[in-house]
Amino acid sequence: MADEEIVTKEKNAEELFKEFREVSVTEFFRKNRAHLGYSGQLRSLTTVVHELVTNSLDACEEAGILPEIYFEIRQLGQEHYKFKARDNGPGIPVKHIPKVFATMLAGTKFHRHVQLRGQQGIGVSGVTLFSQMTTGQPITVRTCTGDNKVNEVKLLVDVTKNTAEMVEEKQYSGYWRGTEVEGELKGVAYNTSERGPYEYLRRTAIANPYAEITFVDPEGRKTLFKRTSDKVPKPPTEMKPHPKGLAVDDLLNYAKASESRHVGSFLSSSFARVSSAKVNEMQKLVSFDLNKNPRKLAWAEAEEIIKAFDKMDFMAPSSEGLRPIGENQIKNAVLKILKPEFEVVITRPPKVFSGGVPFQIEVAVAYGGNAGRPVSGENSEEGVTAKAEIMRFANSTPLLFDASGCALTKAVNGVDWKRYGIKDFDNSPLTIFVNLISMYVPYVSAGKQSVAEEEEVIKEIKMALMEAARKFQIYHSRMRREIEKEAKLNTLLKYTTELAPALALITGKDEKKILKDLTHLVKEKLRIEALEDELEDESEEEAKDASFEEGEKE
Amino acid sequence: MSPETRDKEVVKIIEGFGDGVLGNISKNESPKFSVPLRSLNNIKFDRAANLLRLGDKNSSRKFMNIAHAKKFMQSAMIAAKCKELVSKGKTASIRELYYQLKHAIANTKENTFEDQGESDPLIVDLETSLKVLREELHLKADDKGTLIGNIVIEDSGDLIDCSKLGRSGLSVPSIIEHYKFKKVKADYVLVIETAAMFDRLVEEKYPQNNNCIMVSTKGQAARGCRRLVHRINQELKVPIIMFTDGDPWGYYIYSVIKAGSMALAHESERLGTPQTKFVGMTMTDIEEYGLQKVTEKLKDVDKKRISELLQYPWFQNKEWKKELQFMADKGVRIEQQALASKSLEFVAEEYLPEKIKKGKLLP
Repeated sequence: MADEEIVTKEKNAEELFKEFREVSVTEFFRKNRAHLGYSGQLRSLTTVVHELVTNSLDACEEAGILPEIYFEIRQLGQEHYKFKARDNGPGIPVKHIPKVFATMLAGTKFHRHVQLRGQQGIGVSGVTLFSQMTTGQPITVRTCTGDNKVNEVKLLVDVTKNTAEMVEEKQYSGYWRGTEVEGELKGVAYNTSERGPYEYLRRTAIANPYAEITFVDPEGRKTLFKRTSDKVPKPPTEMKPHPKGLAVDDLLNYAKASESRHVGSFLSSSFARVSSAKVNEMQKLVSFDLNKNPRKLAWAEAEEIIKAFDKMDFMAPSSEGLRPIGENQIKNAVLKILKPEFEVVITRPPKVFSGGVPFQIEVAVAYGGNAGRPVSGENSEEGVTAKAEIMRFANSTPLLFDASGCALTKAVNGVDWKRYGIKDFDNSPLTIFVNLISMYVPYVSAGKQSVAEEEEVIKEIKMALMEAARKFQIYHSRMRREIEKEAKLNTLLKYTTELAPALALITGKDEKKILKDLTHLVKEKLRIEALEDELEDESEEEAKDASFEEGEKE
Repeated sequence: MSPETRDKEVVKIIEGFGDGVLGNISKNESPKFSVPLRSLNNIKFDRAANLLRLGDKNSSRKFMNIAHAKKFMQSAMIAAKCKELVSKGKTASIRELYYQLKHAIANTKENTFEDQGESDPLIVDLETSLKVLREELHLKADDKGTLIGNIVIEDSGDLIDCSKLGRSGLSVPSIIEHYKFKKVKADYVLVIETAAMFDRLVEEKYPQNNNCIMVSTKGQAARGCRRLVHRINQELKVPIIMFTDGDPWGYYIYSVIKAGSMALAHESERLGTPQTKFVGMTMTDIEEYGLQKVTEKLKDVDKKRISELLQYPWFQNKEWKKELQFMADKGVRIEQQALASKSLEFVAEEYLPEKIKKGKLLP
């Protein structure tokens, strides 16, 4: 059943592709440059890094290999750079090279209910085309599947045929497995800003803790992001859509393609968590017979089904198809890379947004240490050492551009941080990590840098952040109190050294004994105060937990 | 009681204070001592006696309270130093005391006392807490105030004839307990706020011509000056008449001489002179003597002070409410020296003799 569905969808893709082939590939690219991530000098370079790295990570994961990724950028001249990307992935069989590196819209990912990084199948071919359009040079691909035969090809995109034009093909023996891509780019610029390649890889390392990433920047500086986990995530599995949040036209599309004989069996076979008992329950809520042929379902009837879905309770969608990074993995990566004073990781249970698309939210809040973006001397306000940074991820892929229009940014900014003891959010050494996991990330555009404002997504992120913020607040107030306690102890002990001799002079008693007793008293009193504070904390924590859960129910 | 006996008592009182603190420590409680509150809400005005009196509200100084810790330590240091002074039979000025105790706290850059402003109020705290007078702690302040006139005082065996001290007069010390009044010939004591007016009246031979003693407070009256005025009034039965600027500050100085002060309400009995009367400057003087041109405009602080005075129970009589209200309404003040606009002699030859003779005095 599921297979058949994919076939149908692939046909649609073929149709799409036919339309697309009517204009030349170059023209398509030029028209859609911005959407494809090739606008601006820095962004274009970061996009190249992104396409190659995600491709490597996806390949390694699907093959169950612990990824080792090497990326090097060298400057050749003004706005002229050379890149080299290498992975230890499964390698690419020689016949697939043209499809991977020189064909637009060749991917099948677009039409599968599966969580992968790349979604629209433009990916690496875009790198080839961009290189070719800016330098006229082919890219070089070396790949070996581990059979001791290394294939090295230089290729260009044949812009009229939307396939590869092989400039040079070689095969030689070598003990190696993986893929290496080399090419030149013009009209790009490298910098270390938070939208540059370095930051992209740093964030990739945090969100993909099982990957080992080496980066060599144009000045020859080498950074190694070591892996903090040696578990390759399980390959993604396919999932049926969940009934909650489906739109009428989605339902109709599925119905039209269905080969079931009845609407009832169509519903239970096409959607997750719809049992025959649920179908019987639905029969009572709709005005027509669910034994009807699904391909003849009318708009109004589909509407009734959607309304019924909304009224009915279903088990939450399975998170099987979703692959969160995992609390421990994020925590280890955050600890290793940010070395914060405090960190908290929250994984929310899976939910759906419109269209029955399951998604899941992972957030981390890190404070102090290397968290936040360091502020350089000149621009720093007094006492501000770092500014808050928001690390956005979609399926563990960093989103560096178009932050302002992104649902993830909106959700972070929608949290009233002051309530959690963060008075000046922007000027705090904070890193906020948000990962949206879903088979279909609702991107605003094909540039894939900004998530559309799905209400459910924003709500989930806020819930997760609020939970994290409450934990931070407890830590933060405890820290602050400890500092105050310490200061109080020091102050009292300081005055004790003068009080004791004065008391000795007045009473004629032994100064040393008075000092000892007084010091003991001060320490003991403060210790008791600290214990009382802690008890108070705990009861406050419980009260807050209770009110938080109530809030959630509403 | 002989001074020596009292000294022994005071030493015991200070030791009692120290023992109390050690008792706190051995009972595992914060070292503490209590100080009577000296703010307006713990000051009672005894209308019958016309004196300010301290109420029974106390505040507790606790060493474990971070806001009190340093003051607590400083108070103990002052107490220890006072015990030493009393035991040795020495008397130190409050400034000397400050210097004796000031040093850097071990291993810090912080001083035990940063300035005398820190030690002075703690001395008053200690006096009120231990119910011991400052002079009994063997502390004194600088001389402040001057006296001139027909009075002979015995000071430590020496006789001082205050009518024979030229234009300078007797500098009034902080402690005058040892003064013995030998001979006096005066109809009243004129207490004057400003040194300049005092000098004017000396030059005009006012004390000789009017058979009076003159005292200058030089601003707010110090304890020695207040105690001296009190003793002359009480022991020699000489009436006191006060002469200040016509502004809220002058009127308050008058009220301190008469009824005592808030800070030293515990000593009003010894320092206040309820029979004191007020000659000027009054607001009605402005019209009476045609001084409209020589008034000065009230500043915001003056206006604020007027409204404060209007709240004080000891200003709640119709004469003073009228003066203050009048001042506030007109928005002006008048200085003693504004009388010089008439002539230098005017104050000595007309203003004062006339007002005092006619009994144009405020209560």
